[in-house]
Amino acid sequence: MKILIIEDEKALSEDIVAYLKGEEYICETAADYNTAIEKTELYDYDCILLDLTLPGGSGLNVLKELKANKKLDGVLIISAKNSLDDKIAGLKMGADDYLAKPFHLSELSARIAAIIRRRIFGGTNVIAFNDIIIDTQARVVSVNKLQLDLTRKEYELLLYFFSNKGRVISKNAIAEHLWGDEMNGNIDFIYTHIKNLRKKLQEAGEPDYIKSIYGIGYKFNY
Amino acid sequence: MKLLARYNRVNILTTVVVLLFSSVFYYIMIRSVLVDQLDKDIEIEEQEIKDYIKANNTLPKASHYENQEIGFKLTSDSPIQRRFKSKDIFFNNSSEYRSVRKLVFPVTVAGHTYAAYVLKSQEQTEDLISMILLITFSVVMLLLLILFLANRFLLNKLWQPFYFTLQHLKQFNLSNKGMVKLQDTSINEFIELNQSVKIMSDRVKQDYESLKNFTENASHEMQTPLAIINSRLDVLIQDDKISEHQMQQLQGIYDALDRLSKLNQSLLLLTKIENNQFTQIEQIPLHNLIPEKFRQFEELIAEKQLAVTIDMQPVTIQCNKQLVDVLFSNLLNNAIRYNYPNGFIRLYLTNNSLQIVNSSLLPGLDEQKIFQRFYRHTDTKAEGNGLGLSIIKQICDAFGYKVNYGFKEDTHSFKILFA
Repeated sequence: MKILIIEDEKALSEDIVAYLKGEEYICETAADYNTAIEKTELYDYDCILLDLTLPGGSGLNVLKELKANKKLDGVLIISAKNSLDDKIAGLKMGADDYLAKPFHLSELSARIAAIIRRRIFGGTNVIAFNDIIIDTQARVVSVNKLQLDLTRKEYELLLYFFSNKGRVISKNAIAEHLWGDEMNGNIDFIYTHIKNLRKKLQEAGEPDYIKSIYGIGYKFNY
Repeated sequence: MKLLARYNRVNILTTVVVLLFSSVFYYIMIRSVLVDQLDKDIEIEEQEIKDYIKANNTLPKASHYENQEIGFKLTSDSPIQRRFKSKDIFFNNSSEYRSVRKLVFPVTVAGHTYAAYVLKSQEQTEDLISMILLITFSVVMLLLLILFLANRFLLNKLWQPFYFTLQHLKQFNLSNKGMVKLQDTSINEFIELNQSVKIMSDRVKQDYESLKNFTENASHEMQTPLAIINSRLDVLIQDDKISEHQMQQLQGIYDALDRLSKLNQSLLLLTKIENNQFTQIEQIPLHNLIPEKFRQFEELIAEKQLAVTIDMQPVTIQCNKQLVDVLFSNLLNNAIRYNYPNGFIRLYLTNNSLQIVNSSLLPGLDEQKIFQRFYRHTDTKAEGNGLGLSIIKQICDAFGYKVNYGFKEDTHSFKILFA
């Protein structure tokens, strides 16, 4: 999978590259408008992360160029502006998703995975890991062909872990992913949901994949 | 008091006072002139009598006409003073009082002193005076009336550009980019007023624009470093070599970062609502939105084992979807966060109001300060950022809703009245 990160903040694009390396992604970066145009014209990517404010031009123009050239690359806009107008404009112009800064890298990774799933795997929408199979269309999880009885949040949690396998996800990232920005205050209650998911997977005969990391977060081991 | 009324009041009052004084003066003047004239006529008679006596050495015959009377009376001792006087005399033939002018003067005929008198009717003089006064009075009244009407009409017309400007100033609204409409006028004062209004509105608009730009820029400038801190932390915690103690410290940074991000978002949201940037209005069926919101928070509700009662009718409001979403999230978030385990949340939705009631151990909040930014009750832990209620209030204001807070025995309630 090839990813292009169009982002002028060097620190941020470095971190994204470092985090995504854990997946089988090949990452390239472009720090300004011209490089972005050049790279998108020359190569095809499975997903492009697009910052809207770039030196040399607007990210929306990069998107416009892509669509004009009938490129099929998935596009995820990452913007600090978080303005509804930008979001609507971006999505109307054919971007697949929109993520406002600041974001958790685990969230970014999950969004990228979702875009690639939609783009590459077309209609099947089935993700498998060992004996666990997630059907993202039907939103059901089965282990050895036996359907697990998961709550909505447990399902989303498992999917989130799948997109961030082998990496530590902070509790804050999990809370924000499951409950959105509007969740405030103490987030320790997510432990209950992790515990239940873990229990249900173990009852279905799976090893304990989910490991707690010093109270800061969780890691799905493989 | 209206300018016109004030002006008319002063104007009419002074006119009336001036006219009153001048008419008294006028009356006195005319009267003295006319009486003077009458006296002169009488003096001519006096002279004629004296001439007659000188020539004939005998008294002329006493005469008695309608308007003039001459008579003589023999007086013995007391010397007679020559004097004029006005008086009312009863006339037998017409049986009424008439005012007359009388001159009494001494004449001496053959060693006898007589008091001669000449009497002339003052009736005609009085008639003339009253006629003159009547005409003058009518003219003055007519003048007053015309003045009043003219002022009214003229002033209304003169002040028209002012009222026009005022009307458009009232409708001036920054967010819909309306210019203040001004009327062309030839009056210098109004030209100056219009120029000042234009300069002021332009400056306000400019300030508003720069404020909006500042807000956007500030958000942009803040979100990027926040994003970098976040991504650095996300990468950092992947490192196996970090000790448990260090991880706990990193958790502290995560939490602080979370609060900072949310604070930034809330401030931005407040500014955006203030600037009326949420203009898209749609029909929102609250009876669908509310259960959806409760589902969104169901884990938090279950965590505290809160009893939820929802009593609602189908209600659809005209509002901005995003803001209604935020409104309900904030209300519900507060109702859950400040609740105690096994407490309750009750929601009542009627055609014109929405009420959310929750149990809480917090004492009543200060109604005066409750919607102020960063107001937090001293008993609440620093969980919220102190902007939640300000946002609720601001959203309600934006759509003309009223929001009331109530407290009764460990029960807090917020009631929103749709206009």
